[in-house]
Amino acid sequence: MERSEIPTFQPRLRVLNREQALAIHTAALEILEKTGFKMEHPRALEMLADKGCKISDADWVRMPPHLVEEALKTAPKQISLYDQKGAKAMALTGENSFYGTGSDATFTQDVETGERRRAVLKDVSNFATLVDGLENIDFAMSMANPEDAPIEDIYVYVFAEMLRNTNKPIVFIADSGRDIAKIHEIACSVVGGEEELKRKPFILNYSEAISPLLFPENVMEKLIFCAQKKIPLCLPSGSNAGGGAPVTLAGAMALGIAENLAGLVVHQLAGKGSPFLFGPNVSAMDMKSSVVCYGCPEWSLTQAALADMRDEIYGLPIWAFAGASDAKIMDAQAGAEAMFSILTALLSRANLIHDVGFLEYGSTSSLEMITMANELIAMSRFYVQGIPVNDGTLALEAIERVGRGGPGSIFLMDDHTYDHFMEALFLPKLLDRSRYDAWENEGAMDLYKRCNMEAKRILSEHEVDTKPDAVLKEIEQILKSS
Amino acid sequence: MSEFSSLTEAVIKGDIQTAVAETQSALDAGSNVQDILDKGLIAAMDEVGEKFSTGQMFVPQMLRSAKTMQECMKLIKALFQEGQLRAKGKIVIGTVRQDLHDIGKNLVAMMMEGAGFSITDLGVDVSPKDFTQKAQEVGADIVAMSALLSTTMPAMRETIEALQEAGIRDKVKVMIGGAPVTENFANEIKADSYAPDAGSAVIAAKKLLGIT
Repeated sequence: MERSEIPTFQPRLRVLNREQALAIHTAALEILEKTGFKMEHPRALEMLADKGCKISDADWVRMPPHLVEEALKTAPKQISLYDQKGAKAMALTGENSFYGTGSDATFTQDVETGERRRAVLKDVSNFATLVDGLENIDFAMSMANPEDAPIEDIYVYVFAEMLRNTNKPIVFIADSGRDIAKIHEIACSVVGGEEELKRKPFILNYSEAISPLLFPENVMEKLIFCAQKKIPLCLPSGSNAGGGAPVTLAGAMALGIAENLAGLVVHQLAGKGSPFLFGPNVSAMDMKSSVVCYGCPEWSLTQAALADMRDEIYGLPIWAFAGASDAKIMDAQAGAEAMFSILTALLSRANLIHDVGFLEYGSTSSLEMITMANELIAMSRFYVQGIPVNDGTLALEAIERVGRGGPGSIFLMDDHTYDHFMEALFLPKLLDRSRYDAWENEGAMDLYKRCNMEAKRILSEHEVDTKPDAVLKEIEQILKSS
Repeated sequence: MSEFSSLTEAVIKGDIQTAVAETQSALDAGSNVQDILDKGLIAAMDEVGEKFSTGQMFVPQMLRSAKTMQECMKLIKALFQEGQLRAKGKIVIGTVRQDLHDIGKNLVAMMMEGAGFSITDLGVDVSPKDFTQKAQEVGADIVAMSALLSTTMPAMRETIEALQEAGIRDKVKVMIGGAPVTENFANEIKADSYAPDAGSAVIAAKKLLGIT
């Protein structure tokens, strides 16, 4: 008898109920209306005043809730990022999740010596190449704050360096309206013009308001530029519990969401319908060292909560983090923390997930860490697929064959195993399951060592499709005009 | 047991009410004001610093102690102006030009104050000129600068140059800190000291001024 098809439940995490989500949203609106925020950009201030915000003390803004509701209506519910060749790469909508690296680490763990040292431009190219070669890393960020790039154009230089070494989408940083215009110019030259970039954007800008409640002029310059040029943007302020925000997670989320929504309102006023990725960064400040943690359970928890708020209220694709650690080297702590956030991000269906590959609370980048994360993401994706239940997977015929097959009949020999093992099971590449003697004979390597070798292999073997000479020349020229 | 042990204990506990009352009663009893400061308040904060750096205290507890000390200081601060009290040193502190991130700077300022330094906090986005003018005005021993963004780090160099041009570079020590700042960068711009966190900033400041 044919069974009717049984839908597969895919493991899914929820951490807020509807009442909690609404209460946090209401608190965010109350912060904007009653407490207000400091807007240091004159034009943004003007636009807000025109729309009925109350301005006091020159640049202190109090915002009526209906402006937020209007902005939420005009912001698109889906953002598609393309690769640099024009193919759709990341449909940021619904339950789709994509992982990528992070930006601006001061140090890197040298892949040859293992030493922690200042990052240089060559590291940016190595990270971009590795991202290009890893199947589960979907987008690139610079991973470095190189000391050999001219400081006034550091973000233009790292952007150009990424372009030369990957064709995946790029999430980029800029300092102000000045350098973001150059970065935009370079991006246009890659795809053949401004209209083409608007149609198929491969870049997304990462900017931050400053918690609590401060919108600096240079940050808003970037936001308005992106809104006008239709460059997708996220504006996660660092409303970290105990740092930029109250120590309790609900309050930290309410503050971060308030800041995010204030940014969204200005953004939609400057460019109605322009793409805006929702969500603040709500991690926790360590109460001993005062670092903002990258491996803590708090950040994974607020991340999952923001995904719930997306589903309950906002409907906009969300910004997220995973695959990072506070450990100083890629040790057991790094593995545990990376896996915790990678799995949580996927279980809560976060959309754009950055910071993969950070050690030392985001201060040190590690090629090995990304290489490991690539495998942990594969592991998590396997897990989240759930357990398909149908005639094929219940395999009653195979059970009959092997069970009644007499001596020598084993599942390993059965055709059903041969036909299905590749998709039925997770087949690791770097996680070691070899027998002891084999492991010892191979050099008794730990995961760090294996990731180190794999990263080096990809760097030497992976070929990034190079861009046309004309494009490379144009990039060079724009850099020189800096 | 020091005569100020209950004051010291109250500061360590962060019990503002008791500490202020203890300070007042010490003043009423005619205790030496410098002793109240050194043996009572600063001694307490030294212990707090020690407990904090060995992980026995958390940041909010350490800051509550610093706040307790500040409240006690209000009672005796007027006596500084009359020359009856000496601070360990004068520090002018701020985030550099165009850097608006001040959590770290505030933490350093509180701990420095707790350690007995006199702090002039210029806030955020402080220009080289303002650092220099204020340092001259108060006769600073140390200028302490913070930057969170790599793009604002060059302002540290410019501030040092401004101190140079004003002819006071040899009179003040320069300390720098902030997430992207490194020892190498401090050497490169000829700062006198770099500290990776607030606790070590206090130790570095003391070292710079030869205070044990």
